[in-house]
Amino acid sequence: MAQFLIKRFIGLIFIVLGVTFITFILGYLAPGDPIKETMGDHFNLQTWEHLRHVYGFDLPWYQQYFNYLANLARLNLGTSFHPQQRPVWDIIKDGVPISAELALWGTIVTLLLGIPVGIWSAVKANSWIDTLNMGFALVIYALPAFVLAIFVQFIIVWANNEGFAWPVTGWGTPWQYSWSDIQYKLLPVLTYGAAGYAYYARLTRTTMLDVLRQDYIRTARSKGLRERVVIYWHAWRNALIPLVTVIGLLLGLLVTGSFFIENAFGIPGIANIMVTSAFQRNYPVIQATTIMIAMGVVVGNLLSDILYTLVDPRIKVE
Amino acid sequence: MDTRDTESGTPLNDTGTDTPLKPGQGQGPQTANGHALQETAHATTTLQTRPAIKKSNRTTSPFGESMRRFRHDLRAMVSLCFFIVIIIVALVGPPIYQHIGGTMQSDLNGPIGPTIYHSYDHQELTRQYEGPSAQYWLGTDNLGRDLFSRLMQGLLVSITVAFLVEIVDIFVGVTIGVLAGFYGGAIDIFLARFTDLIFAFPGLLFVILLSGVIGTSTSDLLAQLPIIGPLLGNGNAPLLIVSLALALVSWPMMARYVRGQALQIKQQDYIEAARTVGTSNFRIIVHHIVPNLFNIVFISATLNVAGTIIGEAGLSYLGLGVRPPGSSLGLMISDGSNILNIHPWVAFLPTIALTLIVLAISFIGDGLRDAFDPRS
Repeated sequence: MAQFLIKRFIGLIFIVLGVTFITFILGYLAPGDPIKETMGDHFNLQTWEHLRHVYGFDLPWYQQYFNYLANLARLNLGTSFHPQQRPVWDIIKDGVPISAELALWGTIVTLLLGIPVGIWSAVKANSWIDTLNMGFALVIYALPAFVLAIFVQFIIVWANNEGFAWPVTGWGTPWQYSWSDIQYKLLPVLTYGAAGYAYYARLTRTTMLDVLRQDYIRTARSKGLRERVVIYWHAWRNALIPLVTVIGLLLGLLVTGSFFIENAFGIPGIANIMVTSAFQRNYPVIQATTIMIAMGVVVGNLLSDILYTLVDPRIKVE
Repeated sequence: MDTRDTESGTPLNDTGTDTPLKPGQGQGPQTANGHALQETAHATTTLQTRPAIKKSNRTTSPFGESMRRFRHDLRAMVSLCFFIVIIIVALVGPPIYQHIGGTMQSDLNGPIGPTIYHSYDHQELTRQYEGPSAQYWLGTDNLGRDLFSRLMQGLLVSITVAFLVEIVDIFVGVTIGVLAGFYGGAIDIFLARFTDLIFAFPGLLFVILLSGVIGTSTSDLLAQLPIIGPLLGNGNAPLLIVSLALALVSWPMMARYVRGQALQIKQQDYIEAARTVGTSNFRIIVHHIVPNLFNIVFISATLNVAGTIIGEAGLSYLGLGVRPPGSSLGLMISDGSNILNIHPWVAFLPTIALTLIVLAISFIGDGLRDAFDPRS
């Protein structure tokens, strides 16, 4: 088991290097000269060269990359470009807890709703309940996140016109849960978890159906065990394994969804900051947010691998 | 006994008496056994006294069988028809629409004909947010632009991006996948590492990164290119960037599928037979492996189209794809979402269109997968 984890860890280091390199090299190759743009009308050749030297822009690319990595290791994300000139961390630091909170609740919604619905559909396979659930999940999965967000917002707006008072956009205080906060957060979280919910519901159903056909389930039933024990103890524990392996994909879905949900609901999280800075061509911020999000995915994958070794006893034997 | 079998119509073996087996057809025993079965079949039919059952004109090639299965899938066929209608509307709709309707007396622009007021970027600022009417078939948006022509332009954009992305996806993915599967070695390792990187780096993240870094400034540069420049004007230049970015993150998946299939095909006997005869590697790849990849490439590409269309719409929604005055489904949704409380129709129209297209492609992809690869 340790070998498996070590191998994965080394692979992840390569991925970290790859991600930082791609992010860095795109910023390096990007058109536009930040110093020139900041100087604007006060352009002066000497000052320009001096500033280039100060910021290290006149170094060869591999040295700049090395400096970039060194700064990252010291958690120094650089200074943003015009017009803010603030340290990048300043700009990002408010967004991190918000995105983390959104991701956490989205994952909880996905797992707590998706898995039971999947099990329920598998147990009642081919009945109208099953068809309804799977049809619903298919539609939700096929629809992009921002489309779902539009529908949800339309419903809120319509309800507001009928006298309901529910906020359409915005995010309350991070990690606080007063009634007003819940009003802000409930629907974005549900919309965020919707794609993951649909994926997990379908996957759980397929896995459970496979497991329920196995011989050991038949043995358990013929032993006279209650149906509930059969399903929740024997069947579900074996169905867990593919569900855990797929957490990596769930992270991908979460990251993709976060851009649209944060944009649609006006949530000032990291993804929204990234989009705004992409719009403004604020490269240091783009690079920093990309790396943060990619690191989140990498860490999540590592956690899911650890979870996988805990859940699948066969791994320990290898 | 034999005559009873043939009378009831059940074939005595899979290959039947119609066409001889071709290499690559079916995965079952081919060389010696196949011939043996065929001879038994021929022998049996000569014993019967009644004339044989009328030969049906039904093709028995695997492709034909798969197409037949696909044709019987109602959901997939309806979706396919819908999709073809959409393509036709997007391609020939705008020119036709621009000749329907008489001259209009615009408040700000004087008398103008349908060529102008039915184009997707013409603004009529005094006629905002109209509902569907005889003049504006689906109403107008916040700047008085005709929604129907904007919708058609958005559909055209989506289809163009999907087309470009799939071409790159298929060419690059198949090439690298086949080389990785056939030769293994360095290319295989590179593909595996690169795929891991792309999977660890959620596609949209990378696309936004690319669009943000390259997007804005290069569109001016691209508009000055000799031939395709004018096509890329009007805010459409980001299309090329978006297509490039989306293609870059989709080819690893295709390459992976192709690699798996190429590995499988490599094990087949006829490949070894071809090698024994002295066929060069190049000919083996081009004549034997690539044609047998058709199924998986077809299915994978179709399923990828839905993701591409969503990706392009999403990017335009975020403002990083097609810019105004261009039109895209995502851009229309984004514009309309600001005014949901008063004029929901402006956002709903592109939303419904996008939903229907994505569902249709998903159904087509599912139908293709069921028809061409029933084992999966």
